[in-house]
Amino acid sequence: MVGSISLEQNTSAAEASLAAINDRFGGSGIDASVQNHSNAKKYAFVRIVCPPQHWLALAKWMKYDLGVNYCSMVTGTHFPDGPDERGWEVAYHFLRQPIQDQTPNTCTVHDVNALSGMDIPMEYEVFIPLPQGDSPTVPSIQSIWVGADWNEKETWDLVGIKFEGHVNMHRVLNPNDSPEGFHPLQKQHKLRYHDHNEMYDDPQGFMRKPADEGRVK
Amino acid sequence: MAQMWITMGPQHPMTHGLWTLRVKVDGETVVDTEAELGYIHRGVEKICEARDFTQVTPYCDRLCYVSAMTWANSYIYAAEDLLEAEVPVRAEYIRLISAELQRLASHLMWLGAFGPDIGNLTLMTWCMRDREMFLDLLQELGGSRMHYNYPRIGGVKRDMPIGFADRVIAKTKLFEKRLDEYEMMLDESTIWLVRLQGVGYANAESMVEAGVSGPNVRAAGVNYDVRWAHPYSVYDEIDWEPAVEKPTSVKGADCYDRYRVRMEEMRQSCRMVLDALNKIPGGKNTNYASGDEMIYTKAPTRAPEGATGFSNYECTRGASQFYIQGGGEGRGKNPYRVSIRSPMFITIPYVAKTMIGYKIADIPAIMGSFDPCIGETDR
Amino acid sequence: MAEAGENFAAFNSRALVEMVGGVTDEALKATRIKKFLGVLAGRYFNWAGRKSLFTLHLGIKCCAIEMAAAATPRFDGDRFGVLFRSSPRQSDVLLINGPISKKFADKVVRLWEQMPEPKYCIAMGECAISGGPYFQSYNILEGVDTVIPVDVYIPGCPPRPEALIDGFGLLREKIIRIGGAPSVQRASEKPVIVGED
Repeated sequence: MVGSISLEQNTSAAEASLAAINDRFGGSGIDASVQNHSNAKKYAFVRIVCPPQHWLALAKWMKYDLGVNYCSMVTGTHFPDGPDERGWEVAYHFLRQPIQDQTPNTCTVHDVNALSGMDIPMEYEVFIPLPQGDSPTVPSIQSIWVGADWNEKETWDLVGIKFEGHVNMHRVLNPNDSPEGFHPLQKQHKLRYHDHNEMYDDPQGFMRKPADEGRVK
Repeated sequence: MAQMWITMGPQHPMTHGLWTLRVKVDGETVVDTEAELGYIHRGVEKICEARDFTQVTPYCDRLCYVSAMTWANSYIYAAEDLLEAEVPVRAEYIRLISAELQRLASHLMWLGAFGPDIGNLTLMTWCMRDREMFLDLLQELGGSRMHYNYPRIGGVKRDMPIGFADRVIAKTKLFEKRLDEYEMMLDESTIWLVRLQGVGYANAESMVEAGVSGPNVRAAGVNYDVRWAHPYSVYDEIDWEPAVEKPTSVKGADCYDRYRVRMEEMRQSCRMVLDALNKIPGGKNTNYASGDEMIYTKAPTRAPEGATGFSNYECTRGASQFYIQGGGEGRGKNPYRVSIRSPMFITIPYVAKTMIGYKIADIPAIMGSFDPCIGETDR
Repeated sequence: MAEAGENFAAFNSRALVEMVGGVTDEALKATRIKKFLGVLAGRYFNWAGRKSLFTLHLGIKCCAIEMAAAATPRFDGDRFGVLFRSSPRQSDVLLINGPISKKFADKVVRLWEQMPEPKYCIAMGECAISGGPYFQSYNILEGVDTVIPVDVYIPGCPPRPEALIDGFGLLREKIIRIGGAPSVQRASEKPVIVGED
């Protein structure tokens, strides 16, 4: 039976990370806290709200001093009705995985209960609120984590948030010939049939127009 | 010799999905590659903003269609984080059983598609025959062979039918013997070994740097499994071990290691299913009505603005994550933003770079061994 | 007849063939044997073609897995002559089994145009018929029949492999009716839907 990370290990790791962040960045506008999930085992994770000008420094410190080695997810959200200082938000999710110093040709089977300190896996959530406007910009962390590369491309492609310093930005999910400035997840783009005006509201076809009589679709 | 770009275009029997892999070849050796995705980009993230939380579940089934139950579970955990729903323990056991049965079916689909790439056409017929066993079981649970829409926020849709547990035990025990047959056929086959060993080295550091997870990284000797690292469901109560493979070379894991890790994972999944049926609260041959508190707790249906939910789940191909923000249309009935992290989206550009230096004939072996599924990649 | 520079004295086989062909053609047309042979040959090719429908190996999304399942031992499409070919030049049927995105639309048309006549198209699954669950999406076409003509629709999400085999059966019945008519002349045909009685 393999052990799992226990609640004590998890809480201690979260508290230790929080202490380290506050120690280094306390009072500079970077706001860190330990939150608990409401699902599964209700474990703790670290949430950081960081203004865009401090993001690169925080990212480098997280990678090299906090041991956060895995960039998971980059999400961009558009808040057209939000407050002035939060018209856009970029949410990063990172993981710290216990695989530092992997000795080649070995198989690291951890004794899970013996993991401690920086070896305990931990989730990190970083929110970067951006002001209202038409050109949200965030420094790119492509050079820090390789996993951020395609995630940032996808965020720009779908949401339109520009990543400063990102090399070779191109469309990755939308067609390559999409119009400049077309970022479908922005809130002013509506889905087809969104207001159900163009569609027949009756699926059985009782109110079909005479010209469509006998049509299959 | 002149170098040229060859397009293994979207319609290709060996790419296991609709994506383009452009390879630059110098004779027979691959010199550079480029991956192009997006041929089945459906805009699921945008569509989910116009759906209720319960209506999003079928879309998540269709993300990675080979492994639908795990993706639906992954979304449900995130929605439960957002809506702060409680889940009864029996429902967690049933979710675990359904997820592991789905993992078996998915790995069999992988092997059934991978074998013909290497030239072993028998594997297609054998694996699909065995996969039908598990699809029948999942059909009893969920109602359909592929897209079940089975988990609910706060539990599961309905309980296991009477006699389901006996059928699961019989089929799983039969399958464990079949796994021995597969290994006998493959591990003693010179062609299989020659085509897979020494091909497609991917070492642990570069994989973790790039964000690869799941069986691909466990094949390189890294014991990272979300099921123990960020535990959810009842994996800490049942008997299992993550399948980690010690690579035979310092260069990293080759295709053979990735194949072995999935065979081992299939054995572990069988073990998990059998153990979970022994330990399930309420007994394995009882059937509670739908909506009974043993399998379902009514969850809130609206999420206020500012609430977020996040789930980290071990899907068949890696760690899948959902990040949901509440406060959408319908005064919070819909999510405001659903963001899906697909392990394959990160792995495919990495796989494209892994192929550099090998021959064209090695491309299907390398591509297949990473188990791409384009449905989740393109969302 | 003879091109410039050809040796007039040499035996010109092309001219001979053309002359013999023209004479025979006139004779056959006069006795109406040509029409009879044409009907017989057409019926034979029709029978051969519908008993061996080579399908293009195109897997778009979930329905492709059910298509693969229909080729496997439990459902076995091969006993009906349904075989999967990798090249569009060698296939009869284009089985669309997933949603068509804007990026893929011109590739589908190109695949369709690469297939030689007689060719048929089957739209399998809701996404190919009408866009399916993604009908609201900004990137998905509302059905593949917006770009290519479809002969058989197989509803389902995904349709069971038995439904796919039934779809092939209905396509065979349709081929008896329409024979080897080129696809461009089939626009007025009522489409066949699996499950519609």
